[in-house]
Amino acid sequence: MNGQDNLRRIIIATVISFIFFFAYDYFVLQPQMEAASKTEKISNKAPVKVKRESENTSVSKNEKSFEAKTVAVIEAKNYEIKIDSLGRISSYILKQNKFNTDGKHLELISPKLPKPLEVRFKNENLNKKAFSIPVEVSAKKIVLNGEKKELVITQNLKELVLKKIITFYPSGRYDVKVELSKPADYFISQGYRPAAAIDQLTIHGVVIKKSDDTLEIIEDGDAEPETINNAIVVAGFDRYYTTLLFSKKPVKAVVVPDDEKNPVTFIESTDNISLIGYIGPKYVDTLRSIDPGLVDVVQYGVGTFFARNLFLVLDYLYKISGNWGVAIILLVVLVRLVLFPLTFKGMVSMYKLKELAPKMKEIQERYKKDPQKLQMHMMKLYKEHGANPLGGCLPLLLQIPIFYGIYKLLLYSIELKGAHFLWIKDLSEMDPYFILPVLMGVSMYIHQKLTPTNFQDPMQEKIFKFLPVIFTVMMATFPAGLVLYWTVNNILSILQQWIINKFMESKKALTKVKK
Amino acid sequence: MILKKFAIKFVKFYKYFISPALGSNCRYYPTCSCYALWEFENENFFKAFIKSVLRILKCNQLFRGGIDYPVISKKINPCYGKKIEIKYWLIPKNDKFIVIKAENERTR
Repeated sequence: MNGQDNLRRIIIATVISFIFFFAYDYFVLQPQMEAASKTEKISNKAPVKVKRESENTSVSKNEKSFEAKTVAVIEAKNYEIKIDSLGRISSYILKQNKFNTDGKHLELISPKLPKPLEVRFKNENLNKKAFSIPVEVSAKKIVLNGEKKELVITQNLKELVLKKIITFYPSGRYDVKVELSKPADYFISQGYRPAAAIDQLTIHGVVIKKSDDTLEIIEDGDAEPETINNAIVVAGFDRYYTTLLFSKKPVKAVVVPDDEKNPVTFIESTDNISLIGYIGPKYVDTLRSIDPGLVDVVQYGVGTFFARNLFLVLDYLYKISGNWGVAIILLVVLVRLVLFPLTFKGMVSMYKLKELAPKMKEIQERYKKDPQKLQMHMMKLYKEHGANPLGGCLPLLLQIPIFYGIYKLLLYSIELKGAHFLWIKDLSEMDPYFILPVLMGVSMYIHQKLTPTNFQDPMQEKIFKFLPVIFTVMMATFPAGLVLYWTVNNILSILQQWIINKFMESKKALTKVKK
Repeated sequence: MILKKFAIKFVKFYKYFISPALGSNCRYYPTCSCYALWEFENENFFKAFIKSVLRILKCNQLFRGGIDYPVISKKINPCYGKKIEIKYWLIPKNDKFIVIKAENERTR
């Protein structure tokens, strides 16, 4: 009976923790597996392709002498696209003020080549023509008022006619059909990854999703020449923005490193092809509305799987509350609620503990000078009477992955950028007035004061006393949302501890229980 | 051995810098981090690792907690005539040993 009960409890605790630990292991191992599969994929063909590609690159460099003028403009509520005389998207400006940098609307197209929808031919002669003959467009200006509209770009290369039929949507999505009057080997690109949000903290590069749902993430600086035959999504991304091409049928994707070993990607084809593209912020909802599989384009670095699921929870809380700061507070409460059965069990054991109060006092008196022995005898007492007021290490350690996940969300989620809360203008940036970090330090200090501690090591005790200060200074530069989470968590811990302490102190309660 | 050293460093780092931030909450004596440390210093890496993980999993309110010393198996080689510093007491139990940290001046 007792053994069975024990087994059940082990299983419950294990299942709870394994959900967290597994997610972790999985994502520490994943990049390694990817690296292994990468080396496999470099086929014999790849080097030939690379040569081709580098020739093409040199060709497109020549093109600079040819002034590529803007031949068409597409305007929607949220963006303005410019098409240049080589039939490429040469500019994509986000019109919402939220994205402005230095008071200007944000440009998502990197000055580096290739531009989105740039077509390069394998045949050198044809390629030269493709980069010197200007295109004709079906309309010079298109204004989208909440509906999709079509633009036809025609480039007559004499030997063949290249047609791009593009349908623009107000969301930033576009459908593109490439039509050739006769088959020829060519490459089309989703463009160089956006360079609007590049920093040391976050990953940027290219993510390729294959038809078997596996992902290949090629970070800038790590690119190797390779060909992937079953790609369905090819996306260049920086911290917040992406430019991608998506195909319902598997296509051949070619990766070429540039001078800095950053990945440059093309989709290779010989015939007509239909693709779906998107340029813009990595809003999970927008990407999901184009295709659920595109959600994978939002990468959070190490721990992506965990961060993504945490985002879904946080996003849900945001949609209920309408504010990201409130959503974070709700998340703390939610985590506490999940752990509540454990806390509750602890609270119940407090009643038993009351009866032990006199004995505990005796022990405390006796081992005043020896904290190690005191701790040991307390434990002995707890065990003998089946009462234990302490929460345990597991519930605490479970907080660490959540904390890490929120850190990742604040780094990568465009949704959280510019999220304001009370005096804080942006939860993904540090608190400019240092109010939150100080609050966190204070709450941590109070929590420390309330929690009974005993150290075996004087060094440890010193560090412990300075820790609120160390944490305040350290957390001051972290995103405000993260500090908010920790502060609220501390406050709830204080409340819980306060209730526990009240129980312990009140002798009136003790007599009531005895009665 | 490298793994072991790394694990010991890691646990010590946790004890000094992370654990104090979380508050003392362990339901056991010795605490989970002490348990892990003693295990890693006396047992082979894999056994110590698994036992430490199990201990952490058991450290929640579904379990009673209390006194739980590491129990290890070890071959004892006698050492004569040398002055040694006692770090741990190994108390025989069946054919295994209970590990108890010795109280010398350094730890006091």
